[in-house]
Order: sequence, then structure tokens, then C-alpha cells
Amino acid sequence: MKHAGLLFLAASLLCGRIEAHHSFSAEYDDKRPVTLSGKVTEMKWSNPHGWIYLDVVGADGKVTNWALETSAANGLIRRGWRKEDLPPGTELQVEGWQARNGAATANIRVVTLSDGRRLFAGTSNQNAQQEK
Amino acid sequence: MSSGKPDLQGIWQAEGRIGYDLEPHVARHDMPAGLGIVEGGNLPYLAEALVRRQENFARRAEADPMSRCWLPSVPRVMLLDSPFQIFQTDQHVAMTFEWQQVWRLVYTTGEPSLYEGVESWMGHSRGHWEGDVLVVEVKDFNDRSWLDAAGNFHSAALQVTERYELVDSDTLRYEATLTDPAVFSRPFTLRALLQRQSGKPRVLENQCQAEKEEASGDFEPDARFWYPASIPAGNVPFDAAASSPPPLPAVGADVPRRADGKPDLSGYFMADAGGANYGLEGFQGRFLTPDARGVVKDPPDGRLPYQDWARGERSDRELPHRGYDDPTAHCFVAGIPRSLYVPSPFQILQTDSQVLFLHERMSWRQVALDRREHLPDVIRLWQGDSIGRWEGDTLVVETRNFNGKQWHNEVGDIVSHRQTLVETFTPVSATAVIYRATISDPIPYTRPWTIELPLNRMEDELLEVACLEDNNDLHHLKDVRDAWRAQQGR
Repeated sequence: MKHAGLLFLAASLLCGRIEAHHSFSAEYDDKRPVTLSGKVTEMKWSNPHGWIYLDVVGADGKVTNWALETSAANGLIRRGWRKEDLPPGTELQVEGWQARNGAATANIRVVTLSDGRRLFAGTSNQNAQQEK
Repeated sequence: MSSGKPDLQGIWQAEGRIGYDLEPHVARHDMPAGLGIVEGGNLPYLAEALVRRQENFARRAEADPMSRCWLPSVPRVMLLDSPFQIFQTDQHVAMTFEWQQVWRLVYTTGEPSLYEGVESWMGHSRGHWEGDVLVVEVKDFNDRSWLDAAGNFHSAALQVTERYELVDSDTLRYEATLTDPAVFSRPFTLRALLQRQSGKPRVLENQCQAEKEEASGDFEPDARFWYPASIPAGNVPFDAAASSPPPLPAVGADVPRRADGKPDLSGYFMADAGGANYGLEGFQGRFLTPDARGVVKDPPDGRLPYQDWARGERSDRELPHRGYDDPTAHCFVAGIPRSLYVPSPFQILQTDSQVLFLHERMSWRQVALDRREHLPDVIRLWQGDSIGRWEGDTLVVETRNFNGKQWHNEVGDIVSHRQTLVETFTPVSATAVIYRATISDPIPYTRPWTIELPLNRMEDELLEVACLEDNNDLHHLKDVRDAWRAQQGR
């Protein structure tokens, strides 16, 4: 399934699939874009949205554990990714938008592994496409 | 069945409250006494697992996952004190449950799952026939569900072998052998009888979480749209005759057909939805809301024929503080037609008397081909009550009995309980079905309107969407709403 994952990864860069079950624009703030780097502490392979928890070291050296909302785990599974591919400690860089309530929560659009592979292919600001 | 296999179809329910506690037990405040259904009496726990079972039992009122309306695993779902229906084709046995609109899809093709090893609440089910007995192997569970309401539990290592055998036309013998070496010292078997529920036209709905949130006030009623709202006195009169959708497309020469000659609509489908879940009318995407190409075929201008006051409500629903009001943000059922164009796949099964839709977002809809009368008017459902017929090679489905609690999409296109829906499914090729829905809803609209989108058949399998179980969004949306209300002095 790893090979399938790479194939679907390529396809998914072109056609991001969204699994929204609620209005993202209601929850996240377009005036608060964020770019974060850190280590995965936990990943929830949940639906219709997955969650990545990322320890991010701030400029003051303080560690904040961010809750990062992704598109559905089922979309990742269909692209060939499995839980064991993303263990705690995996280094990620993400781009997205912070929650309106100011919490350390963001909807993330781009997730890049340290080897350059992209985990999700855009989420919410592309049209919903069929997956295969 | 034409396959020569026993016909298990119909509505069934376990006897009494056997699913409350699998072991023999005296009466308790929350369950009657029972003899249990475990062969040999008690469950063969490993010592440390028994300790956890006792802890679960003591905390069961709040700790039972089903008390939070979460998905049950197998075999618990088979032993609930509410009905379910079995549908049977040459390739599948499907089960649709009243409780939370849960379904099971058992593949009887002999092929392994495409997603072996991917954990879920309900597991992957593969079935085969041993003589007249349907044998179903279930595995790939998670470790979050219980076996009953008394705190008996399992691990992710659980594997279940179920056996279904007709004793007579009204009695189905059910056996489940559970193997879970992380919790139990040996395999054990449960035995129960399932009784046919004669005289019921269909399984209804028990939306556990929606009922709970309505009772607590977390999901607020809207008296303008929910049953039994009336048509506002100031409305422009509804012009039912104004509907003028273009002619249906031609049926393709290469569409799959059943033995009786009717088109075969069965399969795994994704709608080419064009962003309908973000707007039925076309609009330019902005920020985190994607583009919608516009799926309204009639009226010809592609605009929904809102009453003026309803257009105002629709605009209001796009504001951030209204995001909380979208029922699907609460993980409630999406309704019809939204269930078809949310960005998740669905499976169609077709029998001689039913067309069944299983939606990956854990809901189902059955379309009765053998029934003429809709349910009594007072019965109101999230998915409505659907009756279908063939007109040539197009399946025509009429649905009513809606409760009016749905939104058509996340920008809040309006549904009321007065909505009646006529859908057509026209197969145009080996893989594509053109779907149309004409909605007549005299509360928010001035005339009927029609949407159209292609449904594409693909080679894939449904996974499971356990939405409620990991819904981290709702409290954020509630924060946004509550902050707005505080600002408004509400």
C-alpha cells in the first residue's frame, strides 16, 4: 500500500479532497494565517476530519502543543497512508489558519514531511473532487 | 433467493434486553434480571481484564460508549432492543439499524477487504455460506467499544465469527464466537434468537445524539421550518406549476442491467458534486470555502427561488456565528439530497423490492419499490420516507415526511418539513448515473426547483465515518456563536 500511497499522493496534489462537515470559515480566521514546524505528539485518524497534535517551540523556547485539523482520515487511507507511517516524533511543517477563538488550533492546508513529501494535498480552499 | 441461498431479508430484533448484560445477572436499577447468553455462563476474562470490567461496571452510566451515542461494535449492535433490517443481494448482505442510522455491509464475494488492518468501530465483515448458514467473519475493530451495557469489553484484537440460520420463517438463530486473546483466556460463543418484526413497513430512526442535544438545548429548534410549521401568511403564493426542468438525458446503451431487465444501479458511488455542499447556486470560493459550480438546473437562471424573508435567513446562515447551527456540524444525519453530495462516497444496493443507500457518513436510506403509501404524516424523519418506481429505465423516487431540521449545505440553503422531493436516477453509461432532485417546499421557496449532478460508479469500498466520536469542532463553533451572542447582549 506504500506504493499506492505515493501514486495517490501525486494525484492528490492536483485534486484535494475535502471532507467538511461544518463551515471552516465559521471556525477559522482568515486574518490569522500560521506556519508551524514541530514534532507530532499524536495523530487522530478520525473523520470527517483528522487531527494532528504538534509540539511547536516558540521564540521564547516555550513548547506549545497545537491541535491541527486536517481533512478526513479516510482520504489519507484511500491514498495508501497508514497509522504506522506517521508515528509520534515525526517532524512536520504545516501551513494553515488559526481558530477564531484564539486557541492553539488551526485548520491546516499544507503538511510537509522532513523528506519533502506532502501528507495532504490542500484541504479547504479547493473544490471537492472525487478521489480516484 | 434466486441464488438458492436462504432469504434472510426482513426486519429483525433480538429478544428482550439480552444485550444489556451478556452474563447471568440479577435485576439492577438500569436493567432487568437475565440468564445471559454466553455458552457456559460467564465470560472467560484474563485476571487483569476482569478488574477493568468491574471498573467499567461501576462507571457504566457515564462510561458506556453507547450512552454517548457512539457506535457499537459487533456483536453488540445485533443485540440491541431496537429493530434492524436485512437486505440481501448476490454480492452483499446489508443491515440497517434504527439506532443512530448505523449500517453494516457484509461482502459475500469471497474477496478480502481493500482496507485490511484499518481499525474501525464496526470492523470489516466478510461472509460466506456454509450450507444454509450465513457465516460472517468480522475483524479490524478498535478498542473503544463495549460488548454490552454492563461494562464487558474487548480489545482491538477481537475477531468475531457470526452464524445466521433461519429456524423458521420468523426466527433467526444468531451465534457469535469471539476470540480476543488480550482480554479473554479462550474463545467463547454467544447465542440469541432474532425475531421477525412483522407488520412494520420499515425501520424508523432513532437519532440518539440529535434527540439528546434537542433535549439539552444544545441544538435549538427553528419553529419556522421544523414540523409542524405553517406556511407564513405573508408568503408569495407557491407556484407548483412553474417547474420546468429540461428533459432527462438518454439512457446509455451499455448500462448494466439486472436479470429482470431493469438497470442495475448497484455499486460504490461518488457524486461529481461541484461544491454543492458549499452552495447549490454557483459562487466564487473565498478563504476556506471552495468554489461551487452551481448545480441548479431549474429555474434556468441557476438561482434558488427564495421567498424574500427566507433569502435573508439564508444570507445570515453564512455568517460565522451561524456555523454552529448546521446539523452536520453536530454530526447529525445530512438528509436528502445532501447525503448524496457531501464529499463522501455511498453504496447503492438493489433488490427486487428495495433500493438501499448506505452513506459512508454512517447513515442509510431505503427506497421501497413495493410500497405505495408514505408513512403517516406525524412520522417525521431526518432522511424522510422514500418510495420508488421505474419509469422506463429511470428510477423515480418520491420522498416526504421530513422533519425540517436539515440544511441543504453548510452555507445553509433552507429545508422545511413541508419539502417533498422527487429524484430521478438515469443511468447514462456503464459508470455514470445522472441524478436530479426536484424540491417543492412552500415555506422558504416560491416555486419548485431542480438540481442535477452526475454520480460516478467506482471500484472501491466504503470505510466508516465515526463523526461524533471525535468531533473536536463543535465547541469551537459554539465559542464563536456564544461570543457573538454576548456581543449582541443576548
